Amino acid sequence: MLLQRRLLCTQVPKRSIHPTHHQNSNLNNKKWAIKQVTKSNFAETLEEIKTHIFNSDFIAVSLQKTGAFSSPWQKVLPFDTAEVAYLKAKYAAERFQVLQFAVCPFSVKSSKIIAHPYNFHLFPRDELKMGMPSYSFFCQSSYLTAMAQEGFDFNACIYDGISYLSRAQELAAKDRTGNPLPRSYMKPSQSPTVYSVADSMFVDRIKSRIKIWKRTCQDSEKKTEDDLISTLRKIVSGGEVFGSRPSLSIDICSERQVQLILETLQEFTDLVPLLVPAKKELQLMEEEHNMQVRGFREVVDLISTSQKPVVAHNAINEFAFIHSKFIAPLPSTVDEFRSSLCSVFSHIVDVNHLMREIGPLNKVNNLPAAILYLKRRFTRPLHMEIPQHIDGDEVRVHGRDVLRISELFAKLCLILRIVPESPEADYSTSSSTLECYANVFNPCFISSSDLLDDDVNISTEKTRRISVANLVFLWGFRGMMSARKLKSLLKGSHEVFSGEIDVRLADRNCAIVVFWAPGFAERFLKVMNSGGTNCEPIKDMISEGLRAACYRTYKRVCELSIWEPSLADALEKALEEASDLPEANSEEELPAICWDNDELTNLDDL
Amino acid sequence: MNSSSKFYGTKIPVVRMLVVMKNLFTIRAFHKSLISLSSSTRHFCCSSSSSASTFAIKNVTKSNFESALNDLRLYVKDADFVAVDLEMTGVTSAPWRESFELDRFDIQYLKVKDSAEKFAAVQFGVCPFRWEPHRQSFVAHPHNFYIFPRQEIKGDDTSYEFLCQTTSINFLAKYQFDFNLCIREGVSYLSRSQEKEALGRLNARYKDRLLDSSSCWREGVDTKLVRVADILFSERLKNKIAEWHDGLLGDRNGASQTWKTSNDSKQQLKTIFFKMRPALDLTGFTSHQLRLIQLVVKNHFEDLVYACVAGESSSQQLIVYADSASDRDLLMKELKDCLCKEAEMKIKAAIGFRHVIDLLSSEKKLIVGHNSFLDIAHIYRKFIGPLPSTAKECVISIQKFFPYIVDTKVLLNASTVCQKILKKSSTSLSKAFALLCPQIASGVKTSGLADKRLVKVEVQVDNKRSLNWNSGAKHEAGYDAFMTGCVFAQACSHLGVDFTLNPSSVDLSHHEKLQEYINLLYLSWINGDIIDLKTGERKTDSICSKGFKAHHSKILFSNTVLLWGFPAKLKASEIRECFCKVFGSSSITFIYHLDKTAVFIQFSKEELVSDFLVLKETLERSNDPISVLHPLSKVLQGGRTRAASYEVYKQICSSTISKVFFADQAEAVGIEWNAKLSKPVLEVERQVDFEASENQLDTDARNETEIVSGIDPPLYMHSPTDELDSLCPAEAQMSK
Repeated sequence: MLLQRRLLCTQVPKRSIHPTHHQNSNLNNKKWAIKQVTKSNFAETLEEIKTHIFNSDFIAVSLQKTGAFSSPWQKVLPFDTAEVAYLKAKYAAERFQVLQFAVCPFSVKSSKIIAHPYNFHLFPRDELKMGMPSYSFFCQSSYLTAMAQEGFDFNACIYDGISYLSRAQELAAKDRTGNPLPRSYMKPSQSPTVYSVADSMFVDRIKSRIKIWKRTCQDSEKKTEDDLISTLRKIVSGGEVFGSRPSLSIDICSERQVQLILETLQEFTDLVPLLVPAKKELQLMEEEHNMQVRGFREVVDLISTSQKPVVAHNAINEFAFIHSKFIAPLPSTVDEFRSSLCSVFSHIVDVNHLMREIGPLNKVNNLPAAILYLKRRFTRPLHMEIPQHIDGDEVRVHGRDVLRISELFAKLCLILRIVPESPEADYSTSSSTLECYANVFNPCFISSSDLLDDDVNISTEKTRRISVANLVFLWGFRGMMSARKLKSLLKGSHEVFSGEIDVRLADRNCAIVVFWAPGFAERFLKVMNSGGTNCEPIKDMISEGLRAACYRTYKRVCELSIWEPSLADALEKALEEASDLPEANSEEELPAICWDNDELTNLDDL
Repeated sequence: MNSSSKFYGTKIPVVRMLVVMKNLFTIRAFHKSLISLSSSTRHFCCSSSSSASTFAIKNVTKSNFESALNDLRLYVKDADFVAVDLEMTGVTSAPWRESFELDRFDIQYLKVKDSAEKFAAVQFGVCPFRWEPHRQSFVAHPHNFYIFPRQEIKGDDTSYEFLCQTTSINFLAKYQFDFNLCIREGVSYLSRSQEKEALGRLNARYKDRLLDSSSCWREGVDTKLVRVADILFSERLKNKIAEWHDGLLGDRNGASQTWKTSNDSKQQLKTIFFKMRPALDLTGFTSHQLRLIQLVVKNHFEDLVYACVAGESSSQQLIVYADSASDRDLLMKELKDCLCKEAEMKIKAAIGFRHVIDLLSSEKKLIVGHNSFLDIAHIYRKFIGPLPSTAKECVISIQKFFPYIVDTKVLLNASTVCQKILKKSSTSLSKAFALLCPQIASGVKTSGLADKRLVKVEVQVDNKRSLNWNSGAKHEAGYDAFMTGCVFAQACSHLGVDFTLNPSSVDLSHHEKLQEYINLLYLSWINGDIIDLKTGERKTDSICSKGFKAHHSKILFSNTVLLWGFPAKLKASEIRECFCKVFGSSSITFIYHLDKTAVFIQFSKEELVSDFLVLKETLERSNDPISVLHPLSKVLQGGRTRAASYEVYKQICSSTISKVFFADQAEAVGIEWNAKLSKPVLEVERQVDFEASENQLDTDARNETEIVSGIDPPLYMHSPTDELDSLCPAEAQMSK
């Protein structure tokens, strides 16, 4: 023991001066060789990533946002049903912005992961001057500070971030580009234009041509004349018809001339200039235009068309953002969301759900810790190989979570035997197995143990399924209280608490009580509603401000977007609103959640 | 190579121009937008000078804040006035929250309040000016503070959030704002109310603990010993501590010290003295181990106290010996006070940038801003407390902290002398600076006679001084504050304040020539509405509307209906048509777009408002062919068209929600519309200076609003106005 320690002691300092260490750190850098993409290298990267996306088996994604949840209860909590979790994710996705979008197409071959990580820097710049993609967005200063500590360059992101439009926004934009005159032309130059000789000649020529055309137009309106003559007249004057109005085409070949004509036209009060691109350039321009309009969404579209499974961590949050920023505004229910999302991405796999398959891991909600855990338990080696070469030696850590997700996914697949281990078998045979794990958005995943290997120890004893009808929210207790204190207080107050109950704090001022015996929650609520008749301790507590609400009220809070900082206030408001409405759909079937004794945020530790 | 491909290569599109005949309105619209565009580009034309001496403005971040603050204290104390300016992350949280001519006084305030509540201030310019009689010039000390709302102390559970308006962020980026510096190094702050709250929380926490001293340090320490390793560790530590404990007692009894530790534990357990008591300093344990040790101490040693004390760099974990119960209580109290004081220190340290505001407030200096109501509202919200719900309460409260505020925009528009110099052109800051202070703005030396009237301003940054300093960047708060101060000094001189006569400095706050301008601010520039900070009332006998262009509109709020949710492509002209068919051709005074989802409709008679609302309701209820063929059905189509009186607009504006489109906002605010329809309207009309008769304004207003619908509106569109340009909101808003 002692010997070992000493060995370690002497080795550590030696290593640091040893040349191999240098190589090591190089390797480490290599490990995070993530290509950082901004507007300047986006076009070239797009071609590159296209091939990788189509040649890889999976695509890992991970987003860096400007914020997540505004107060503790607003994050997705373990007692949230899918609906509630979605509403929370929706709220966050609509408020905050994505600044980094990491994409990593990867394949797993035998014990090797071949990964191509990219990190795209995004900024919702209004390239089309139409108030899109985003009029404004929220930032949490703690998120920005954390990003700054990682060395994130906000200037580069804002100056040079890639913009985008969602599919819905692109449609709206097409709808609105009715006026083909680019706005930039409408800005007059700061000083009155100085005419060169050539300019004034050009202007004079155009002016006289317009005058002649105008005169002929007005003349021809007055008198009816022979078809032939009118046709000839048209050829001579160059007049055409645009819609139902007479028009005149002027061929021009430079921006300068556009400017000149626009200025000339100001003299004519009844004319409107329109810019019509020549046909040859139309296609090229359209491609360029598309690129400019869609921006980063091209990558999302590539992932979508590739039909490859997309791997993420906390998928519901990530895909709420992806949907709202790159597809369309978020629908109001989780089912609509799911079907809308499935039409874009056929397979979405959440590593969180895979982790839940391996019982003890369900506590590990943080990527490095999960990887470390798996490394210790399952010693099958896995090598990460990043073929791409990156010049320069700046830190390339941004977006490294996407590599962690890839690694974790590959490991979990091996453990859960989702992906065949033989290199020759391809992804298609395993897809059916993966299917079981795809597109699950419940925050609480019910383990399908038949898929699991026998030698993996799963302990699911701690999680128990319980209908949300047995959950009651409590608030209004005096001061700051720990869950334990509250529990003991409740235990002595009424017989409904004599059975098995669990008490957890949802945030500082609001607790959630689980009645394991069915029907007791309802009984308790009745006692509360009656004002604690026949029960002095409850009566006392009510007089001190104790309030209770069922799970439906909590759901209403999210549905009505009552995002108060404190859950107690939000529930109170929801109760007020509910009292206006007649008691409706009380018979609706209530879903079940998984109650995990260990998983709730223990606010006592705060 | 043909010309077209060549031009394509250089990104110049080859185009043909089609000149289309169209009706007169469209062309006018086109012209109108051109005019407003040109007014928005006003701040681009400012010359930079080569002759000006160049040293950088004083930038202040976390690292040099303390020293800069100390210097600033002296400068402010000596100053005759202090110019301030702020840069924010945005101005309007939704397009319809921009300032409209149709905004009543109370609504203008609600819009400013919303802006100050949602957006963050990221740069704060402070520039004290002092008159130096022997130099016959002002000395200015421009400071550019980077500030960032970092959460330095643990508050309640809510996070620090702020909104960013994309166009404003782009605008800041265009002027090379350093976001990295701001986020990494920006000085954080705590408002007065935040500080009070934090101290209150602190007191509550320590009061609680007094009642229950056993759970003093950490609640929930009853970690159960389940793992064998934990039991072994606890046992070993128990023995170690017992050894040390016995050794202490033995030592006191005069026996030789017997406590010997093995090498490794000596590093972790070191005997020190804490508050005159022997103590064990615990180092190198994990937090789990510390918890176990805590448990051991609590369970097995009556006269030992486990304490966690904040050291210089990190917190120190100690086991302290207290020889009696009373000594133990004393120690606990000492520790508690220590912790409390420390937490208080942390809160004091978190005040940060607010020290500058406190300084300005306590020195009661004359504060100079340019179109500064929004700035002042930000200062109030960020450094004092939540904004009151009405303008009156707000400004009266502001006066308590800043008794003398003067606004250069008000000054320039009110003073005929200044107007003459500005040749009635815009009173944007950089324009005014260039015209009023040409010697500073461009370093041009004018002829002797004219030069005499120009106030000299010497700039001092650290130890460097210069009479023709001009190396700030526009739209950098520090430089904007400097420009504001220069403009103010010059305007004072034009108003007849003679600095040169006085042997010492001039008391500007009480100067008779300035009295009619002090404590007046534009609540909304677009309406020319001025608020008197002393009374909280709108200034009606306005000196300042002299320079302001006369409004051609008489806005009768009681005649106005708000309509939203109508079919998306409906234009103002079409809506007017529908209404005229029903209520007569002269029934509509004007129609005004808030955004593409909502319009204001002003009827010529008040009773038409209720007539319309009743008619709308009946039409919506019945589904017979008559109602389908009714002219209004075009407006009501889709069944989502809502209408309400002007008061509802106020309710919607006062909501904290900000949806991009007005129709969505109204839905989100979720007021029971139909119930409110018959409610009487409170305010009758807004008083604007009228020059036109109602007939004239009728046509004028119509042109102005329908023009908008003539051109294809941008996504967020409202009526163009001369001062604010809707197409480039950021620029228009940021340039004052």
